[in-house]
Amino acid sequence: MITFQLNGKKVSLDLDGDTLLLWALRDELGLKGTKFGCGIGMCGACTVHVEGRATRSCLTPISAIDGAEITTIEGLDPAGQHPLQRAWIETQAPQCGYCQSGQIMQAASLLKDFPEPTDRDIDAVMGGNLCRCMAYVRIRKAIKLAAAELRGTDVK
Amino acid sequence: MNEIPKSLSRSGAALATSRRGFLIGAAGAAVYLGFVRPGFAATDLAVSPAKIFEPTIWYSIDRDGIVNVSITKAEMGQHIGTALARIVADELEADWEKVRLDYVDSDPKWGLMVTGGSWSVWQSFMPLSQAGAAGRIALIEEGAKLLHVDKATCSAKGGFVISGAKSISFGDIVARGELARTYTADELKAMPVKQASDRRLIGQDTRAIDIPSKTNGTARYGIDAEVPGMVYARPKIPPTRNGSKVASIDDTAAKSVKGYIKSIALDDPSATVPGWVMVFGESFTAAKAAADLVKVTWTSDDTAGVSEQDVQDHAAKLIADPKVGSLVVADDGVEAAFAAAKSKLEQTYTTSSVLHFQLEPINALALEKDGVFEIHTGNQWQSLILPVLAKALGVGEDKVILRTYLIGGGFGRRLNGDYAVPAALAAKAMGKPVKMVCTRADDVRFDSFRSPSVQLLRMAFGEDGKVTAMEHHAAAGWPTEVMIPSFMPKGVNDVPYDPFAISGANHWYTVGAQRVRAVSNDLANRAFRPGWLRSVGPGWTNWAVESFMDEAAHAAGVDPVAFRLRLLDGAGRNAGSAPSAVGGALRQAKVVARAAEKAGWGQALPKDTGLGIATTFGQERDMPTWVACVARVRVDRASGVVTLEKLTLAVDAGTIVDPDGALAQIEGGSLWGASMALHEGSEFAMGQLKDTNLDTYTPLRMGDVPELDIEFIPSAEMPTGLGEPATTVVGPAIGNAIFAAVGARVRHLPIRPDAVLQALKA
Amino acid sequence: MLKQSLIGLAGAFVLGLLIFVALAWRSSIAPIEPPAAASFPPDLVAKGEALAGAGNCASCHTAKDGQPFAGGYGLVTSFGTVYSSNITPDPETGIGRWSEAAFARALHDGVARSGKHLFPTFPYDHFTKIDSDDMKALYAFLMTRTPVRSEAKPNTLPFPLNIRMLQEGWKILFFRKGVFEPVAGKSDEWNRGAYLAEGLGHCGACHTPRNGLGAEKKGKTYAGATIDGWIAPALTDASTSPVAWSEAELFAYLRSGASALHGTAAGSMSDVVHDGLSKLPDADIKALAVYLADINGSSAKLAGTDAAVQKAVATSGLGFTNEPDPDARLYASACGSCHYNSGPQPLAARPELALNSALTLPEPTNFIQVVLKGVGLGEGMPNVMMPGFAQALSDDDVARLAVYLRRTRTDLPPWTDVESKVAAIRAQASAAP
Ligand code: FES
Ligand code: FES
Repeated sequence: MITFQLNGKKVSLDLDGDTLLLWALRDELGLKGTKFGCGIGMCGACTVHVEGRATRSCLTPISAIDGAEITTIEGLDPAGQHPLQRAWIETQAPQCGYCQSGQIMQAASLLKDFPEPTDRDIDAVMGGNLCRCMAYVRIRKAIKLAAAELRGTDVK
Repeated sequence: MNEIPKSLSRSGAALATSRRGFLIGAAGAAVYLGFVRPGFAATDLAVSPAKIFEPTIWYSIDRDGIVNVSITKAEMGQHIGTALARIVADELEADWEKVRLDYVDSDPKWGLMVTGGSWSVWQSFMPLSQAGAAGRIALIEEGAKLLHVDKATCSAKGGFVISGAKSISFGDIVARGELARTYTADELKAMPVKQASDRRLIGQDTRAIDIPSKTNGTARYGIDAEVPGMVYARPKIPPTRNGSKVASIDDTAAKSVKGYIKSIALDDPSATVPGWVMVFGESFTAAKAAADLVKVTWTSDDTAGVSEQDVQDHAAKLIADPKVGSLVVADDGVEAAFAAAKSKLEQTYTTSSVLHFQLEPINALALEKDGVFEIHTGNQWQSLILPVLAKALGVGEDKVILRTYLIGGGFGRRLNGDYAVPAALAAKAMGKPVKMVCTRADDVRFDSFRSPSVQLLRMAFGEDGKVTAMEHHAAAGWPTEVMIPSFMPKGVNDVPYDPFAISGANHWYTVGAQRVRAVSNDLANRAFRPGWLRSVGPGWTNWAVESFMDEAAHAAGVDPVAFRLRLLDGAGRNAGSAPSAVGGALRQAKVVARAAEKAGWGQALPKDTGLGIATTFGQERDMPTWVACVARVRVDRASGVVTLEKLTLAVDAGTIVDPDGALAQIEGGSLWGASMALHEGSEFAMGQLKDTNLDTYTPLRMGDVPELDIEFIPSAEMPTGLGEPATTVVGPAIGNAIFAAVGARVRHLPIRPDAVLQALKA
Repeated sequence: MLKQSLIGLAGAFVLGLLIFVALAWRSSIAPIEPPAAASFPPDLVAKGEALAGAGNCASCHTAKDGQPFAGGYGLVTSFGTVYSSNITPDPETGIGRWSEAAFARALHDGVARSGKHLFPTFPYDHFTKIDSDDMKALYAFLMTRTPVRSEAKPNTLPFPLNIRMLQEGWKILFFRKGVFEPVAGKSDEWNRGAYLAEGLGHCGACHTPRNGLGAEKKGKTYAGATIDGWIAPALTDASTSPVAWSEAELFAYLRSGASALHGTAAGSMSDVVHDGLSKLPDADIKALAVYLADINGSSAKLAGTDAAVQKAVATSGLGFTNEPDPDARLYASACGSCHYNSGPQPLAARPELALNSALTLPEPTNFIQVVLKGVGLGEGMPNVMMPGFAQALSDDDVARLAVYLRRTRTDLPPWTDVESKVAAIRAQASAAP
């Protein structure tokens, strides 16, 4: 039995420890917002937070997160109003939207480590998140917008 | 994609969605206004307690005034629902806050269901506008009655019918009125729509209705579909696309996987998935793990030994044989012009295989309920796959329904609904709902990727460097030939051709006597399933045309922009015509001039930095989207590495319904172009693609994004498509910029540093 | 004549054998009635707990998913796999019937209560330095654990290595008995660190290379060694770390499992930090840091730290922008989102690869291990995990990453034959006991 905090609630899974967190979230716990893109840790669509840090759930067996705190896109903000989510709407960033849960979760982690991210920081930290629709211009814009809001300043 | 409406009318399809036949075709000889759905008589529903005003099948209004617009187009990032609803709402004078989208399931009443070719807005604009206008007129008439005023004093605005100080909401009219009205087909066709200056929503910035759900995890894609009692399946993909048969299945090792159910070879009467084995599990985790352990042996035909070079060699051989192929343009006097030419230019251009790599791996959930098969998955062309599914399942087409989901990236992959077939067959075989999910590698190995191509272009110059003739021969795998040959029109020499595989070669340059020959690469068609990929043919034809125009300009000693402008003279067949191609080549000339001007064409640049230009009309001559692009690149002579610094684009797509959405499409499209030019490209090797995941397939990422400067030319002309055209100008603009920067000419896509180094030495 | 000489030779051999057996023979120490847990004073038990942490006893004496101290953990050596014994006070299968003297003899001499020789996988060559007070405390601690019934697993040593008596030969050659002697002229703190490191801590067991017979090489103390499929890096000035292992860095690393300038403890070093050293007070960790910082000569390297950090961080952004090299793109897409740093200092939660010994060691062993297995939440830096890429990346992919990073993040000569090394480590991991 593997137990962890999921979006603030305790959950237990009676599954093989090797089961990947991605599929446990999607198929066992019904949280479909976390997406499957590549399965090898190179597209970022499956990004969730493990103990507050962006992690590829497609590589993470549930045995590795026993007792940990997991946050998915559904739990980033209960009302979907995290500054990043608002910035994503403001800039109309999503196209097909399939990558965007992962982009937003990765961006949240980015802003923790780099509250005032430069373009280079964004290139590097977001470089693992493929947007096949190539909505990159707006994702970058949205990150800067949200960063400014979180810092309480205007976008430069 | 191009020319489907034309092709359809040619093949006599009953539900042709030609612009003006849209509503009529869908609902019979007349469109009923009132409490009716097609198929019911107005009187049947006059007594219905459901107070819903459904003026056409395209939208309804309920007693709260909520306008539900039926979207028959697939949503895959273009926010098509928002654009289509804006068209309806503008004419209807609806309150935009009360507009909702309803992505509908497949049903014959919708007519042809296809989303592709950047057609959606263009196809739907008039019918939806007229449907909106029809509803507005009916609401005004009924509203006038309820307000006890003369309808001539009434107008509609923001969801109300207004007469002086009096007004009544659409919702109240629906609730209290007796709406019933019939228009004939002719009446609808003649229904006037607003002048551009009267529009309130079209052309104004808005926010896409579907976007919030794509930021909070609530958007539902095909891969999210589930029904009670379903089992999961993952395929074992055979070594070749068409020529493999299952010899044996050994699942001994898989039996140790918890939740493994069984493995079966699919029997597919539609021949969509020959040689497929499905591995079933209680969970995807089980199916996935088991599939890795199931051993299948296949017998395969000779295509198991075919590689990219074989395909390309075969293409070159076909091109060298003048007897094969379809003549798409065949002017008189080509031979004579070449014979009399003062000088000639001839070049060959090639492109590699390109993957769709839509981010959502293909998947489908299938189940049988009361003799009807339901397929839950995202799909771009329901009308194409329904008959195939019916054949595979051995049932009538009326026994198959495609349920609609968002698509996690289409780019043409989901025009080809082949992935629905194995799920359907699996559900039938298991007698229970089956959800098939492909891993990324499965997805790629089953991709109908963009065929590699070989093209030969020739140009004849007469006195004063005047272009007197041009030939374009293009050989590639033909998606339409392998998937829906009935869609292929015939060339001048009576040989059918895949319009999607050659469009772009029939450009708007005035080049004297012109010949365009499309050649089907039968080896490609056999060895894999060539697919439609974002903009399809122009992905390679425009690479050739625009690289060649640049070479021709240099050969003629003329500036590449000036050279193009000279040929884009709007003469003869390039004059353009109503409704959508008004202005013709002169509009293309305008975007070329504008892009050049914006990019600072002609100014001095740092060392080894250059500007290159390319232009396109999109895919279809009767639905042109005029685009020009200037690329600025820096080339490192030592390594051959090309750095794309900036893309400047000028776009004339007629009326822009949703400006911000349109911009997003051009942003994404141009970056796709950059990705295919510099970062993508795979290789067919021994019957399979070499790259199956992101460890070796390397599409453009955040750090590769150049500066983008995009401008739309203001226009009140018919809106045309936006999803694809920008993809095809970027590659040749980069190639031409490389030449401008360091004098190295590349003729193969993608452009690798090695090729630049080699060209530098040449 | 010949026959006589042969007889003589055989006689000499038999005599030698007899002498050897006499030397090697150890008496058994009488079993005792297992003492009641309550008979040990709690403060002694508490002291013993800390010391057992320093010795990291639990790591080797606990099998994967097994009960603490119940043994069964397999240590893979070049001679075969040796399984650890049950050191819970279970009377039948553990040490419940061992007297304190028997216990002390095992640690000081490498001889079990029964008189049989222990294999030097049990580092009695270090534990011999434990003083008698600490020995008492350790005994008290272990005898108060929950007894677990768990039979020892048979080792996989081939004949004749499995003959325990032969261990006497090994001892004659390599083992020097005796408790730790403080070094004059060094501070008490230094000597405390040395006592812990050389004795209970048995740092040399992993970090000192071994000779052909599995003994730590004389004169090569802490020079770095390969152990259990990993490289235990040099703790001397032969350290390949670009930045000095200063006292402060050592303290941060040994206390928390990670330091911003050196990275994260992985593999068995993670157990050492989290299961072992975590039981020690800060003062002991500091003493270890003082001692290790002295023997590695870091003071000489200290001045270069800022420059080395700057140089490293400058490489951190490589590969993300307009990058044509497919290997760089692989790195940027798979690793960069967690490992990228921008100056002036890297973040400890974003291990800076240019500063990491995984890239500077002569072999890519540790790099490959970490990429394949990842680093768990409880390992390395607490609450920061790296998922393993074993199922995701091919041998070629991992090799490409290794070669690319070595080339762009260090000035060291390229690693060779990396792909087959990846394959070997992968095979070893799937065959692990
Ligand atoms: S699905 Fe996990 S990174 Fe792509
Ligand atoms: S929005 Fe479609 S993949 Fe990013």
